[in-house]
Amino acid sequence: MAVERVSGGSSLIDVLDRVLDKGIVIDAWVRISLVGIDLITVEARVVVASIDTYLKYADAVGLTGLVSRPTLSEGDSEGGEGKPIEVRPRTSRTPRRRR
Amino acid sequence: MSPSKKAKKTTAVRKTSAKAEPATAVLDLVTPPGPAKVESPRSGQQQEGRYVYGVIESRTPVGFGRSSIGGVNEDVYTVHYGDIAAVVSRTPVFIFDPTRDNALAHEHVIESVMKNYTIIPMSFGTVFRTDDDIREVLKSIYSSLKDVLKQMTGKLEFGLKVTWDRDRIIEELQREHDEIHRFHLELTRKHLQSTYFARMQLGRMIDKALAELAANYVREIYDGLRAVCVASRDNKPIGDKMIMNAAFLIQKAREAEFDAAVNRVAQKYGDRLNFKYTGPWPPYNFVNIRLKLERGGQG
Repeated sequence: MAVERVSGGSSLIDVLDRVLDKGIVIDAWVRISLVGIDLITVEARVVVASIDTYLKYADAVGLTGLVSRPTLSEGDSEGGEGKPIEVRPRTSRTPRRRR
Repeated sequence: MSPSKKAKKTTAVRKTSAKAEPATAVLDLVTPPGPAKVESPRSGQQQEGRYVYGVIESRTPVGFGRSSIGGVNEDVYTVHYGDIAAVVSRTPVFIFDPTRDNALAHEHVIESVMKNYTIIPMSFGTVFRTDDDIREVLKSIYSSLKDVLKQMTGKLEFGLKVTWDRDRIIEELQREHDEIHRFHLELTRKHLQSTYFARMQLGRMIDKALAELAANYVREIYDGLRAVCVASRDNKPIGDKMIMNAAFLIQKAREAEFDAAVNRVAQKYGDRLNFKYTGPWPPYNFVNIRLKLERGGQG
């Protein structure tokens, strides 16, 4: 039985499966309690920012690496094990260190 | 154990103190109906924001048609920082519900961008207040974005979901799986005394056999595709008919090859397994950048 490839947009489930929580995700949940009144009742997942926005990294990234082992450099492949690609932010995390 | 380690863990929530330098200024989350308190230069239009679809590599402005997200009809354009750019459209500042229309509008823009660019997709519903905010974000995670863009250049994601007719497979097991067949016969013929427990046992045997069978199929399918893909990711199957829910990262140049491999694999199983093959997608399953916005000043 031939398998026909369907384009992404033709399946809402597949779209939702991807767009909701994958890719670059700005996670503002943590902030909600800090931001105050207006936000407490709102799922302000992603409405973000003002001119003086400052963005920091908590933890960043990586290609998700469960089954995958994106060794994207060499052309080889065998999607089994492997370490996820780590992308480290250049932005400092500015944890306050006291010594 | 060191206090500094500990402090690090918790900073995510507590964050900066009064000592915060100006750079950590205020992140302002904005609620749609809330009073606009942002002193933006364009104070006449505080409610206007920018919906962000993703990030591409480009130094020069690019247009991508129009977007109907949020029920408006706006140009899709780019906001640049150096050689990278966010793909955005104007929108009211608004919490977007992932309705059918909105999700498809989002996807539609992504698809038109993908025709000519590698895009690192932003999750649904990301809205910034101004172009400057977007530039600020691009700037602060520039090196990560560049890195990911570089690695994803010329690559596409495809989705593969494999389902089977569970009931039919169970019937087959009852006919053909030695142990299950025998047990099933005994159950039906002999009216085993403790039928309830016998049935439970049969159920467990069947579950186990199903899991083994599924795992075998999945392994075979991966084996058939591995050589053609850069990476794969195994998501959790949805529902009890699905045995495989995978995403594959493919070199664009090998797209046709991958198509052929999928078909070859699918043919092998005739109508026993049902393949649902989607794409191309941007590399949703292979890029995971989580940004946390932190508020400066007193928390």
